Amino acid sequence: MTRQSSEDRLELVYGSLDMLILRTLQWGPTHGHGIAKSIERMSEESLKVEHGSLYPALQRLQQEGWITAEWGVSKNNQRAKYYHLTTAGRRQLVAETSRWERYVRAITGVLRPADTGG
Amino acid sequence: MNWRREPSKLGALFRRRKPVDDLEEEIRAHLEMEERENLEAGMPPEEAHYAALRRFGNVTLTQERSREMWGWESFETLWQDIRYGLRILAKNRGFTAVAVLTLAIGIGANTAIFSLINAVMLRMLPVQRPNELRLVGMVDPHSDGDGDTSFTNPLWEQVRDRQDVFSGVLAWSGSRFDLAQGGAVHYANGMWVSGDFFKTLELRPAAGRLITTSDDQRGCSGAAVLSYGFWQEHYGGAPSAIGSTLSLNDHPFEVVGVAPPGFYGMEVGRNFDVAIPICAATLFDGKKTRLDQRSYWWLRVAGRVKPGVSLSKLAARLGVLSPQIFTAALPQDWDSNGQKSFLRQVLVTTPAATGTSELRGQFDRPLQMLMGVVGLVLLIACANIASLMLARAAARQKDLAMRQALGASRLRLIRQLLTECVLLSSAGALVGILLARWGTALLVRYISTADNAVFLDLSLDRRVLGFTLAIAIFTSVLFGLLPELRATRVSLALAMKGGQAVEIDRRARFRNRHWIVASQVALSLVLLVAAGLFLRSFWKLATLDIGFDRNNVLVVGANLETAKVPGDQQLSICEAIESRLRALPGVVSVGRSWTTPVSGSGWNGWIETEWSKGLTGRNSLAWFNFVSPGYLGTLRMTLLAGRNFNDRDTKTAPAVVIVNQTLAQRFFPNLNPIGRTFRIVEYGKPGPPIEVVGVVRDSKYQTLREKTHPTAFFQVTKIPGDGEAETFELRTGVRPSGLVSEVQAAVAGVNKEIPLEFHTLSEQVNDSMVQERMLALLSGFFGTLALLLAMIGLYGTLSYLVAQRQTEFGIRMALGAERGSILRLVMRSVISVLAVGVVAGVGISLAATRVLQQLLFGLGPHDVVTMIAAVAVLSVVALIAGYLPARRAMKVDPMVALRNE
Repeated sequence: MTRQSSEDRLELVYGSLDMLILRTLQWGPTHGHGIAKSIERMSEESLKVEHGSLYPALQRLQQEGWITAEWGVSKNNQRAKYYHLTTAGRRQLVAETSRWERYVRAITGVLRPADTGG
Repeated sequence: MNWRREPSKLGALFRRRKPVDDLEEEIRAHLEMEERENLEAGMPPEEAHYAALRRFGNVTLTQERSREMWGWESFETLWQDIRYGLRILAKNRGFTAVAVLTLAIGIGANTAIFSLINAVMLRMLPVQRPNELRLVGMVDPHSDGDGDTSFTNPLWEQVRDRQDVFSGVLAWSGSRFDLAQGGAVHYANGMWVSGDFFKTLELRPAAGRLITTSDDQRGCSGAAVLSYGFWQEHYGGAPSAIGSTLSLNDHPFEVVGVAPPGFYGMEVGRNFDVAIPICAATLFDGKKTRLDQRSYWWLRVAGRVKPGVSLSKLAARLGVLSPQIFTAALPQDWDSNGQKSFLRQVLVTTPAATGTSELRGQFDRPLQMLMGVVGLVLLIACANIASLMLARAAARQKDLAMRQALGASRLRLIRQLLTECVLLSSAGALVGILLARWGTALLVRYISTADNAVFLDLSLDRRVLGFTLAIAIFTSVLFGLLPELRATRVSLALAMKGGQAVEIDRRARFRNRHWIVASQVALSLVLLVAAGLFLRSFWKLATLDIGFDRNNVLVVGANLETAKVPGDQQLSICEAIESRLRALPGVVSVGRSWTTPVSGSGWNGWIETEWSKGLTGRNSLAWFNFVSPGYLGTLRMTLLAGRNFNDRDTKTAPAVVIVNQTLAQRFFPNLNPIGRTFRIVEYGKPGPPIEVVGVVRDSKYQTLREKTHPTAFFQVTKIPGDGEAETFELRTGVRPSGLVSEVQAAVAGVNKEIPLEFHTLSEQVNDSMVQERMLALLSGFFGTLALLLAMIGLYGTLSYLVAQRQTEFGIRMALGAERGSILRLVMRSVISVLAVGVVAGVGISLAATRVLQQLLFGLGPHDVVTMIAAVAVLSVVALIAGYLPARRAMKVDPMVALRNE
């Protein structure tokens, strides 16, 4: 796995960080560091996310009630705070994902002319 | 922020494990994990550490932003801001001291005047549900008078027995009781109360019991209730006071209890020491008790409205009850016209939640005007501090830029600076409250006259404190917000470079401070004009020709009734006293009269002559006094024609009268009144003719501001009824007050029991000018203060400007400009500011002083002389204030200035 240089990484569109975190947590509870690594891996390092910016987002998601947190022990016997998705969070993820897909379809439609029609 | 989560958050605050520590540990764990991965990937230990940190980003920022999510920002950072603000203020002690002092004066003045307004006009009586209380008065619906609020005792009894719309009614009257037994008087403030007075007001005694209905029955022996203050002062708050005997006007009263603290009676501006039931009047009056007198008006009546009775229902019911009430208390000895107008009266009510007050009529306009004055002073003070803060903000540019670079949001910075302002205001407000308490106490003592000691409850109540708080917040926003907004709009790069390049928009900021100073100049001009108007009013009043010579006259009041001198002996006793006084060394002349000028008492009546038939209503009213032959000479009232009274004008000789010019002109137009007669009209019937034997020059009777009343002087021997002329006037060669003991001895030689009161005529006249004097004093004080503040502002701004432009001046001079031209340059800005301020100030004055019309005497609100004088004073002071820093600019050494850059 090669590390791309930071200049090539893409800035996150505002609001999408929440979605990414929720998606990551769909696969099971993780701690903050794990979430950061997941996002990096899944995007093949294209997304530019400072690890630090996750934490305010995590707080916000907690306040909204979409994730909960509790302290646990990591695989290296280290104390870490584990987050998992709530039912409301799952519903929010579905809603956000579909909204994102509609958004992408709309933009793509504008950038690329429609296949049908002449 | 999700408010539902508040309780858990607050709980989290107090749980052992604070979220702050929680987050810290989490972040630490994160960094450790990243570092471990880096190590496993093969990085050397140090690089692994720093790579992790870099990947993470700004740790502090993350922590702050996370905390922001929690909403802790507000609590924690507020405390942080306060601590930081205190540190900064402590470092700049000079600035802090000046700012706090200026604010203290501005806020203190406002608090002082407001607490006076509160005490006189706004404060509710300390009774239960004061809004239910209504003062009962009477009006004649056919006449255009204001109605009356005085009742006779028979009337009061009728109201009490017949009314059914009040849950309780009460009556009271203010009075004075002599505590001493013979000899020198020692007066206590007294209050007559009806039986239900305390019960209706729902007051509870501080000790013993209060007066009840059983105490107020005919033939009562007299129970007395002390006020709390009197109990503390005279008895030291001892419980033994209850049950003790108190002598009032030489009659024994049993003290049954003490009123609650904070209750000073129903009259605002007055205090009571002892309260006794109305029935006790018989003890003082004897057989012809005032309780039965249907023409002696002395009681005031109020009632607590029954719940559920609307005001219109109240008025209607009283309208229905009035005829029965007035019929039952009709004075039998009045003529038919008088009786008819009596029976027309209808009972009406007015709100009484704030008690009643004579002070209000006298002082409400002056107080409101003073409120405006101190408001302007506060604005000027704020402008000064705003200027100071602008200067300080410019100096703190680097500091602010640094903090912004470290990630502080602009909002945060503004909040921090605003906290400093609030701290300053709070300190200023606290000191201001102290100043206010001292100032108001002083002021109340100042407006208390010998006759009318003013008592006001000036304790700080919620309203005054709330007002002070509001003012403090308002001022901090006013002088803080604008400069801070400008201060934080800073370009980082430029700021870091430092030096004079920081002045980005120098021109604009220049003008900003110019406007501030110009507005200060304008406002102080308004205050100077107001002060000038009041000072000149007072001066005109003080130097008015009042028709008599007030200096060196001792006025002695004797009370023959208290000494129980029988009526037929009173005349001879007075004459004996008068001759004894005449014989005293140091006495130039002695007179005797029923009243003295501007004393507060008066006697008037309708008169008519053959030539006055056309005069109606108040125009045919004349004012009377009864004087001995020595009176006119003692008061140096000039006799213009005819003769003075002499020994031949005895009680049995025909009645003669001396009139003043106004009476002569009105009732004997274009005629010589000497030898002609007029008749006094009583109850519609003219009396016997009275011959005019002399004409005296006009003099004031009731007040100094009056248009002279037509006055008639009768012989002292001819006083009708039981009245007796018991006021002696002595013109002395020495200081009048020095003769008091001699006079006491002389009177004691005639009758030891007669109590005497002393004051000088000039004191008496001065007391009648108390409102004008107060206005002149205070407006002069505040006007000067405003001028001082504005000049400090002008001086400060100009010094600052000169300092800023040092380089520029240095360059100019290096390029060959003369020092004089530099001076002219600076003075040009001074004059432009002054001109703008004066023009604006004159405009505002012309508009604003119109409200002062009623308060002025002898000049109009747009008096040209006053305006010119004010502008002149202001200009001179401003030019001096501007010249000093200008001169400094001139003295700048070009080399030094250029090197400074």
